[in-house]
Amino acid sequence: MNTADRANAIAEAAEPFRALLGPTSTANLLAWVAAELGSAEALDRWITHGPAKTKALAPRTILHVVSGNTPHAALQSLISGLLLGSRNLVKLPRTGLIEADEFISRLPDVLRAMVDASSELPEKWLSSTDAVIAYGSDETLAALRARTPTGKIFIGHGHKASLGIVWADAEFASCAGAARDASLFDQQGCLSPQVFYVRETRTGFARDYAEKLAAAMEHFNRTHPRGPLAIEEKAAIANLRAAYRFRAAGDLRVTLWEGGGNMDWSVIYEEDAWFTASPLNRVVFVKPLPEDLAAAMGPAVDYVGAVGLFPCTEELADRFAALYPSRFCPVGRMQDPPWTWHNGGLPRLTSLVKWVDFEP
Amino acid sequence: MNERNREQELEATVRTAIAGERGASWDDMLCELHSWHFRHNPPYRKFCETGGVSETVRDWREIPCVPQDAFKHTDLRSFPAAETVKTFRTSGTTGEGFGRHHFRTLEVYETAVREGRRLSGLPAGPFLVIAPHPDEAPHSSLSHMFGTLAQREDFIASGGKLDLSRLRAAQEPVCVLGTALGFLNLCEQLGEERVGLPAGSTAMETGGYKGSGRDISREQLYGMISDRLGIAPEDIFNEYGMTELSSQFYARGPKGLHHGPPWARAIVCDPVSLEEVGEGETGILLIYDAANVGSVVGIRTQDLAIKRGRAFELLGRDPAALPRGCSRAADEWMNR
Repeated sequence: MNTADRANAIAEAAEPFRALLGPTSTANLLAWVAAELGSAEALDRWITHGPAKTKALAPRTILHVVSGNTPHAALQSLISGLLLGSRNLVKLPRTGLIEADEFISRLPDVLRAMVDASSELPEKWLSSTDAVIAYGSDETLAALRARTPTGKIFIGHGHKASLGIVWADAEFASCAGAARDASLFDQQGCLSPQVFYVRETRTGFARDYAEKLAAAMEHFNRTHPRGPLAIEEKAAIANLRAAYRFRAAGDLRVTLWEGGGNMDWSVIYEEDAWFTASPLNRVVFVKPLPEDLAAAMGPAVDYVGAVGLFPCTEELADRFAALYPSRFCPVGRMQDPPWTWHNGGLPRLTSLVKWVDFEP
Repeated sequence: MNERNREQELEATVRTAIAGERGASWDDMLCELHSWHFRHNPPYRKFCETGGVSETVRDWREIPCVPQDAFKHTDLRSFPAAETVKTFRTSGTTGEGFGRHHFRTLEVYETAVREGRRLSGLPAGPFLVIAPHPDEAPHSSLSHMFGTLAQREDFIASGGKLDLSRLRAAQEPVCVLGTALGFLNLCEQLGEERVGLPAGSTAMETGGYKGSGRDISREQLYGMISDRLGIAPEDIFNEYGMTELSSQFYARGPKGLHHGPPWARAIVCDPVSLEEVGEGETGILLIYDAANVGSVVGIRTQDLAIKRGRAFELLGRDPAALPRGCSRAADEWMNR
């Protein structure tokens, strides 16, 4: 099977996952290979490389350690390995991952034979693999990195916090998109915004924006209800709401909008610009955009994932370059990264391949 | 009687009742304290009014519980600020601010600490304290609690340096007091050494491992303490308290349930409806503490617990590793 054959088979298997993965056609996948490796055939034949020729060599085996609540990240990781033509070992979460099972079952035999999935992580998987791609907390990644033999490629995707910046939106045109960004995957993904910073183009605009966002969150929730909450998740949201309710009773700089008695969603307007991390599950903060956003981010500045912008312009991206995200994108499209996205600031295919040169 | 005299009388009533010098109906006392706080604590009054709770309640369960977090943003004080004799502070993370608990008198607090200790079954001493003395940590309610129980010379961790010789030299049974992290550090410092404390020695540990990146179970910790110091796991107590409270809840042994003194109540509730959960069910912990004379009696904690009769089994803030994706959530910052 060459790259085009694999892309074709992957695109077919990925068809039911369009909502999770975005457009995943054969052409999309081959364009991704071409963008990263210089040619869509770089894995299949010698391509010109200065005075010589070169070919990309995929790792023989890639170990993917994926997390439970972000099935799209798990599928993206596996797809990258399959596209390269590597053998793939997938360490699933303890509770399993039905999306992965279904995707694997839809692969043609020849590709399915290139995947092994298990909820356990046998030591021999770590020792026999050429590359590890892992998702998890800093602690999980550190532990895995320590167990990975030296000389192997290790790509760790630690937890990130994302945010949106609304620079100018007098008509509240971005609210529906902002609600979608903050609601999809119940905010569990590294691209899920936790805070929207809204520029005060007039006095009180950020608070008004919060109110409109609350309406949009409710609207989105009607068609896309939140998933079930564990007791500790429910308690975390209920406690946060109680704390802000107390503050809002005596402090006009704070307002809380609560969606439903079932903790469906919460929008909190807070004048204090300090980045407040959300307990997730559709709890989003709206704050006036401060002069120095990087400073207001505090320790979170080291963990910025994506920054949604409205409007999304290169000038605005340059203005907020100090946040060092791996992605600036329009508000409303934060959850739809293209296949070419440098996840964690790294090219996803290039980071895995090695090159062999041929000099005639 | 003017309000000032009434305030002193309330304090005296609560203090003498805690000390067991006179009887009290704690149910009525909690309701009376709520009325007092409603009248003299404007943020609390606003909070009550927002929730439709008036100055007079007939049942202590009608008293609204103030979220623990409110102590960070509001001065919950039921007396003139100028009369503050002590303010305990929580250990807040950067940028979040500290929770502050103000006191007009420490007499009620200290009486509650001593009587609570006595009722828990923890020995009255002699103590060895592996935590800073109140002089070194004047804003720590924990240090103050240790200072209330133990003498100045019982503190063996001055300037952050642990004096192990005091442990090694113990001739009679002692009660070692410290934080869980303090005990962990002590065990690590001892390494392979085994200090066999005299038979009958006990220990009391408190607090979690916040900010340390450490997390071990109570059972494991008690196993380590038992191994290094020779104290039976069943003679190790856990104390559950917080800056925002004046009273403590104690559990004995690695599996022990937490019990409070008669003047403090802990109920386990559904986090949304705030209805008390059924036996064996999990919920958040609401605490009513009559020793909180100068602040508020009802506190909504951020801890989860399981209802076990009149006691509770503490689970803490994040009892299980949350099934979570790659988004960095609030509690992850907190734990750093």
